[in-house]
Amino acid sequence: MDAVIQTDKLTKRYGSARGIDDVSLTVLRGEVFGFLGPNGAGKTTTIRTLLDLLHPTSGQARLFGLDSRRDSLAIRARLGNLPGEFAFEPRRTGREIVAFLAALRGLRSLGRTSELTERFSADLDRPVGHLSRGNRQKIGLIQALFHAPELLILDEPTGGLDPLMQEEFHKIVAEERERGATVFLSSHDLDEVERLCDRVAIIRDGRLIAVEHVDDLTRRRYRHVTVEFAEAVDVSELRALPGVRNLEVDGRRARFGVAAGALDAVIKALARHKIVDLELAHPSLEEIFMTYYAREEHHA
Amino acid sequence: MSVAPTASTQAPAVAPPARAALRALVRRGLLDNRRAPLVWGGPLGAMSAFVVALYPSISDSLSQAVKGYPAGLKDAFGITDLGTVEAYLNAEMFSLFLPLAVAYFAIRCVAASIAGAEEHGYLDTVLVTPVARRTLVAGVFATTAIAVAAVLVVAGLLTAAGAALTGQALAFGRLVAALAGVWGLALFFAGCATLAAGVLHRAAPVLGAGAGLLGGMYLLDVVGKLADPVQELRWLSAFRYYGTPLTAGLDGAGFAALVLAGALLAAAGAALYERRDITG
Repeated sequence: MDAVIQTDKLTKRYGSARGIDDVSLTVLRGEVFGFLGPNGAGKTTTIRTLLDLLHPTSGQARLFGLDSRRDSLAIRARLGNLPGEFAFEPRRTGREIVAFLAALRGLRSLGRTSELTERFSADLDRPVGHLSRGNRQKIGLIQALFHAPELLILDEPTGGLDPLMQEEFHKIVAEERERGATVFLSSHDLDEVERLCDRVAIIRDGRLIAVEHVDDLTRRRYRHVTVEFAEAVDVSELRALPGVRNLEVDGRRARFGVAAGALDAVIKALARHKIVDLELAHPSLEEIFMTYYAREEHHA
Repeated sequence: MSVAPTASTQAPAVAPPARAALRALVRRGLLDNRRAPLVWGGPLGAMSAFVVALYPSISDSLSQAVKGYPAGLKDAFGITDLGTVEAYLNAEMFSLFLPLAVAYFAIRCVAASIAGAEEHGYLDTVLVTPVARRTLVAGVFATTAIAVAAVLVVAGLLTAAGAALTGQALAFGRLVAALAGVWGLALFFAGCATLAAGVLHRAAPVLGAGAGLLGGMYLLDVVGKLADPVQELRWLSAFRYYGTPLTAGLDGAGFAALVLAGALLAAAGAALYERRDITG
């Protein structure tokens, strides 16, 4: 498979402030590639540099084998983009916006606009300034998708969408993959990225700290367990459970982390006791990043 | 329901011609500014029409009053003779108020469409289409030129209507020359604002730089007429090339210089805009 996006030590600095540093990654044709990181990590800076809105301080980015700066127009003819905060002149309706962007792309028709409008239940006839954030986001997604581009670059695409529309978006991404499009999407949401993506890159403080297949990422996942027993339980019994770490016991209450793969065995072991309350929580993205950080420092 | 896109709906693999994008940008820009001829041209034209209508009732007393003005003051404000309706209209509207207002409108158009649109994130969607930044800038400059012309046409028509209704013999050719002169002046300041937008990311600093230059050049021209030591610097002011077209006719060379300088400044602004980041 050929590379649709390839960056080589891509660096962007804002004066002395950090942007991104030595970001090297490859996204293959037909791949759904997730870009994960906390706010301010450098996700949007990377995307804006790929789109030639920002000019790299050093390094290089190639899209479709073309230079992101020199061949920017040819690249942009082949992609669709949803910015992190989709905004447009508030008096314009969604239909006017899509028609304008179609004209700028030299297209005579509005392509898949009707189909996408129906699927997202979007209102194309009200000024975007009168729409809620979620409804504006739908217009943003329609303008990114209507011309069936070869590459979709989506910055936090489900921000503001209700669960039903998120589900519809997930279906559309699957269909885009089916028709051979490449999707590069940034997100905070680990579950979403796991569900949609083939591979994931994790960025923190402007540096790429990991590029993983989603399966590998999933294997590394764990859950926080908080359990309250009807009677006190022997600590050594809990400590001996498979995949358990960071165990804290306070009377009848125990807190620990457990590897996702060991969850079934742990729940069955706990069920041998009378349980008053049980809570399972996903680790925050931050905790997963810290896991990666620890791993990176260990390797260093 | 899902519909697989056909080849005809897919994005073309090459960027479309710049001309098509330019047409779309100008059409969009004119739509955004469609109220400007009435909002800006209406009040300016109404004021001019009022000035013209007022002239017959005060012309005699004006002539007497002007005789008492210091010569330098008369030179500075082009009030050498208020014996004609053109001279009075020039002194009241075309020597200060109208050119400043229309040039400010031109600066505002450019500031809002380039730096303002960037500031609000609107360009993040436009500049990821296959449109070159220089095409965007050319579209904004062309839109501004047309919008300024539309504002001046409305102002001119109202002025001419005021003259016709009150039976004033306002020379139509001179009025057209004066409006053309204001258009050239406004285009020069649109070029200055484009140059500023080539560097600055926010509308307010572009507006401030453009308006500051506009006020500064006006003062330089006025002070240059009053004070000999400053007179040699008047060539630095756009108002020196604007002249007094309503009374003296359009200075063709000055008009061409203003339009050409405006276009060159806009081209320089486009070149700078190509090289800088779009911050959003």
